[in-house]
Amino acid sequence: MQLAHRLDSERPVEPIRDSIVLATRDLTKTYGRGKQRFEAVKHVSLTLHRGEVLAFLGPNGAGKTTTIKMIAGLVRPDRGQVTVAGADPHRRPSALRHIGAVLEGNRNLYWRLTPEENLEYFGVLRQVPRKIAHRRGLELLDRFELLDKRQTPVQKLSRGMQQKLAIAVALIHNPQLLLLDEPTLGLDVEAGETVKALVRQIAQEGRAILLTTHQLDVAEELSDRVAIIRRGRIIAEQSTESLLKEFSDSAYQLEVEGTLTAQQHQKVTQLGGRVDGSHITYAGTPPNLYALLGALHPLPLVSVQRDRADLTQVFLKLVKDTQDSAS
Amino acid sequence: MMDLLYVELKRTWIQFIRYPAEVIAGLIITTSVFYGLFLSARYMAGPSFAFGDRLDAVVVGYVLWTLNLYIINDIAIGLQSEAQTGTLEQVFLSPFGAPRVFLARAVASLALRFTLLVGIVLLLMGLSGSRLSFPITLIFPFLSLVMAGYGFAFMMGACALVFKRVQQILGIFQFLLLFLLAAPFEESTGIMQSLRFLLPMIPSTGLLRDLMARDIGLDWATYGLALLNGIAYLAVGLFVFRWAERMAKKRGSLSGY
Repeated sequence: MQLAHRLDSERPVEPIRDSIVLATRDLTKTYGRGKQRFEAVKHVSLTLHRGEVLAFLGPNGAGKTTTIKMIAGLVRPDRGQVTVAGADPHRRPSALRHIGAVLEGNRNLYWRLTPEENLEYFGVLRQVPRKIAHRRGLELLDRFELLDKRQTPVQKLSRGMQQKLAIAVALIHNPQLLLLDEPTLGLDVEAGETVKALVRQIAQEGRAILLTTHQLDVAEELSDRVAIIRRGRIIAEQSTESLLKEFSDSAYQLEVEGTLTAQQHQKVTQLGGRVDGSHITYAGTPPNLYALLGALHPLPLVSVQRDRADLTQVFLKLVKDTQDSAS
Repeated sequence: MMDLLYVELKRTWIQFIRYPAEVIAGLIITTSVFYGLFLSARYMAGPSFAFGDRLDAVVVGYVLWTLNLYIINDIAIGLQSEAQTGTLEQVFLSPFGAPRVFLARAVASLALRFTLLVGIVLLLMGLSGSRLSFPITLIFPFLSLVMAGYGFAFMMGACALVFKRVQQILGIFQFLLLFLLAAPFEESTGIMQSLRFLLPMIPSTGLLRDLMARDIGLDWATYGLALLNGIAYLAVGLFVFRWAERMAKKRGSLSGY
């Protein structure tokens, strides 16, 4: 399924049910007993569709990894349900065929084995017939530009190559859902860009991707939707674009070359603009913006930019607001 | 399942062959320890004492102890090392389910270990002058022994999943196992003659000593009980392992170490 880029079109609010790959309902997990007891995850409900990238964000200890592990069947929830491609991985291990995962803090690979051997091994472990696993492994190595390293033990590969290979291994059984926990952590700029490009491609193939990261620029770039978790609770969940719009104000920043004449300065101020050297801030109506641009004639314009929040600002504001309201 | 067994064999072999020094060192240590024990026993008994059948029985006991020690530590140490290196959770993501994957791993590592063991036996026979026989019927009590051994291996694996650090338990278990395997319970009398069928691996080791050291044919009735012993311990081991897996998932401590 080819999907339109998120900037081209907004996704429907309620896409058709068939396209749902992951649905969690009311996931709750508590650790410890007595005074040590704490609720790591509280009533987390998420839905993820084919081809969609959901950035699952939150401060350290917010409950991201516990949620991901509950989805993968590695941590049993106290309450709630996980459904992956229509089946619960906690009740039916066959549901694990639809899940691929690259888990943070884990090597995810056998370092003494080569990429080719890792792919074949994990393919069979995910119930792919050995010959098909081998063939698919070579295809993935080719696609991930690791074919020339296929016989090099993993421990001799660079960190970026290891991470690409971990993603390839997570795809060996052609899963519908890919869980990526901090996929760009510790990578240099070039390797980070390569991994981001791969994530985009994988989503375009129609797989659903649940991505956690502390690198919010990466989340902003890759995600269709954002869910923010804090102290085990989801505090925001909506499309990345609408979230950013919601937190962006309607002010414009203009920059001109040279300085404004006294007459221009007066006109701009009358229209509601604020002049600071060659920079002008305007927070008025759109028709007056053109009048303001007219007033600046014939000064060359360097830039006209609408103020836009980035995900980092949104994240910090949301997390801080809920902190304030809780205290 | 055959594919799983094949890739587990391949993985075990590759990991062994890429760094063979550690395994070869293990082989040398195992053989040297036996030779040391053998020389000490001969010194204490005096030069005129003839070991005869008893020497062969001791060799069989020692070899079985070495093998079972490896089997029993296999799953627990594997789990610990994979939790440390960060591959354990990927293994638990397999739709086969952890018990089947670890059973396939057990068979694969046993195949490799068994090959090495043949080398140790030949070395020990050369060093000690022991002459063991290898009738084809050996395979039956060997199978029931290995089943019971893996039952214990799954129990130790379960301990590793729940308690994480099990080195102390494994260390103590070595000596308990040495006592169980080296002591000739099959020669005991009275109530122990019946009770020995309830003890882990004992009926199988007795039969193996009969076949290899005493040149006595296989007693099929005793073997039936030995097989039941093996099946029962393996079933209990798998059951405990599944329980431990559920417990670790409930505690969220699967990958912790």
